[in-house]
Amino acid sequence: MFQHLPREVDFFGVLLPGVLPVFLAAVVLQLVLDAGLSYLGAYRRSWHPALVRLSMFVCIFSALLVTLYK
Amino acid sequence: MNASPAAQPSQEHSAARRVFHWLQRETADWLRTEGERWIFVAKAMLASFSALWLAFRLGLDAPYTALATTIILAMPSSGMVLEKAFYRFLGTLVGCSAALALVALFPQMPTVLFLGLALWVALCTGGAAMHRNQQSYSFVLAGYTAVMIAVPAVDAPASVFTLAVTRVTEVGLGIICSAVVHDVIFPRRHSRAVMRTVQARYAGFIDFCGKVMEQRITPAEAELNHLRFAADIAALESGRAAAFFEAGHSRSHTRQLHAFNAAFMTALTTFYTLHRLSHRLRTAAGVACDDAEGGRAGAAAGMDRVLALVAPLEAHMAAALHDDLTSARLAQMRSALAADIAAAREQLAAGPALDRAQQIDFDTAVELLQRFAGNLADFANLYHGLTQQKRQQVSDPGAYSPKTPPAIIVASGVRAGATLLITAAMWYWLAWPATVNAILMATIFCALASSSPRPTVLVQQVLIGFLIAMPLAFATEFLLVAKADNFYPLVLAALPLFAFGAYLSGGPRWGGVGVGLGMFSATLVVPANLMRYDVEAFISSELSLTMGVVVAYLMFKVVLPEHTMGHRGHVAAALWREAQNACNAKLHRLKRRFDNRVRDLLSQLNAAAGPAPNAETRAVVRQGLTLLELGHAVIELRELIAASHAGAARDSLQAVLQLLAAYLHAPSRSSGERALQAILDAGTAVRAALPDAHPERRVRLHTALTDLHSIYTSLLDQLSGDSHVPTPAA
Repeated sequence: MFQHLPREVDFFGVLLPGVLPVFLAAVVLQLVLDAGLSYLGAYRRSWHPALVRLSMFVCIFSALLVTLYK
Repeated sequence: MNASPAAQPSQEHSAARRVFHWLQRETADWLRTEGERWIFVAKAMLASFSALWLAFRLGLDAPYTALATTIILAMPSSGMVLEKAFYRFLGTLVGCSAALALVALFPQMPTVLFLGLALWVALCTGGAAMHRNQQSYSFVLAGYTAVMIAVPAVDAPASVFTLAVTRVTEVGLGIICSAVVHDVIFPRRHSRAVMRTVQARYAGFIDFCGKVMEQRITPAEAELNHLRFAADIAALESGRAAAFFEAGHSRSHTRQLHAFNAAFMTALTTFYTLHRLSHRLRTAAGVACDDAEGGRAGAAAGMDRVLALVAPLEAHMAAALHDDLTSARLAQMRSALAADIAAAREQLAAGPALDRAQQIDFDTAVELLQRFAGNLADFANLYHGLTQQKRQQVSDPGAYSPKTPPAIIVASGVRAGATLLITAAMWYWLAWPATVNAILMATIFCALASSSPRPTVLVQQVLIGFLIAMPLAFATEFLLVAKADNFYPLVLAALPLFAFGAYLSGGPRWGGVGVGLGMFSATLVVPANLMRYDVEAFISSELSLTMGVVVAYLMFKVVLPEHTMGHRGHVAAALWREAQNACNAKLHRLKRRFDNRVRDLLSQLNAAAGPAPNAETRAVVRQGLTLLELGHAVIELRELIAASHAGAARDSLQAVLQLLAAYLHAPSRSSGERALQAILDAGTAVRAALPDAHPERRVRLHTALTDLHSIYTSLLDQLSGDSHVPTPAA
């Protein structure tokens, strides 16, 4: 059902890349997950919390892209 | 070495080892200082050129914006980078929207457009002065981004939307590159720095208390310590705000840090009151001894007795502070204090009765000691919770709320707006197209430096950076970059200049110079997608950029030069107004707000005064601390009044508050004396209510007496040192 996702979004006459909304959605999801993990103290066990966070974001974003743009 | 090395191989061996150790030490030293700095430079360069590469790759219109963003975001720790990045993005969005709205409203009327822009910039700069740290930066950015977008659109209003979108895209790109690089590669976590601050603060405070109680510190030194603590409180709050953006900084941690700061402020205020009381007892005892031949031997003996009773209590507490304050030991300390107090009371009852005033002194000292022990216990508990990473259920006392004197807010707004209008007029009359750069630079630095305590120094540093960058940028552009035919040679050509800027901005001494150098080079050196090498235009831009900074510098020198952050006179007047507020404002959370604001004013004063405050600054600090004590007592009294039933005691307390508010509103000797008299009357009334009060009410009445006492003494201090009282117009 997502095959027709637009490659570009028309924003008041300026064409923005279609991944932008997906990116923003990934940011929001990441923020929620991040708050949850901080609350649980999960970062304290990791060697490099910032890297974990970045990798998580990359995973979320890629997963969204892979599922939305078949 | 006298002995021959061949004869004593062991010594040669040890010599080699010494050399090795020396080398190791030096290397470790280098790694800690210069090494950190070079890692910072490497990270900044990686962020800059990856942003630039992406901007070229994506074919954006003005790649230098992405580069400039990464240079501005190059901060020492990852939390600070993330925080600044977040607020930069926010400011850019708001600024672009404002520019679009303004251009859409006045597309054909440049004069009105510029007036509107000036108003917007003035509002934003005023907003920046009201906030601290990166929130303030967000306001600054909202102001000058609007100028950046709207001014080039004066001739071509149709292109404004594209300009805005390009700006947001490129700033976003720079932000992402900076955030990823600084957060992931060799990150320097800010939460560690915050924890170090917390530890240093705790140790410093305990040490300070011990020293004061054992009288190993002069009152002047104690004042300086209070000033520094105020700066510490503000610094911890800004550190917490930066660490908030790092991974693993949870909300409960935020709450704990807020509570830690609040508990610290409470303990500090109680301790100051206590310290002043014992200091006054000591001086009074000394003076009374000198006067003893004049027939005041009785008073001297009374003072001596109070002192003799209170001093051992303090000494016991100071001795207890030398140990590690675990909760068990704190409980022990409090029970020991209670036992000490009971013993002191017995001793007092056994001897002849004291004067009324001395009895009050003794009671107040006891009450304050108990209160301080309680405050200290809270503070130490929060500290141990923080260091042992226990999750504590603490109620958030609310964020630290800063306070800037309104005159300074208005002045920064007016200055920034005027700068924009003046440079715009220059643009019109000079008819030199490159003046656009001057408008931008003047606005940017006028707004940026407004939130700094010494704006001229900052602008001067940036100007020096610009002047150094002028020949360097020229040489880089026409000798090196012009030869580059690809991205990688371009990096090679531009790297030395940018690395030099980043290196300078990595240290505290020449930070402003480094930022200036980097900004200047980023604006000029980097090629657009379609490069043109035009010597004349290049020099024209160089001159106009520098001219903008010169204008900003002149504006700070000429327009309201005294209205800068933390200026002594303004802080003194604002402190006075805060004390008035304590009498009149709504009671809800008033204590916390009052505490925060007075401490914030003191920390502004500290930032402006530099490492060695002069005598006038110290006078303001002394006055601020007195007003802090007064305000605290007033607020507590108001809370007591709100909770109590009608009666003679309550009416008399209300009369005190009214007269006190009148005195704070129009300070004069006569109104001060009226307030003093009212306090004495209220003391009598409260004492009259004491005998037939039930225990719960008795506690409240005792608190009221303590508060009356501290109001009385701080008012006496104010009246004796009338020279510090500013006129409200000051």
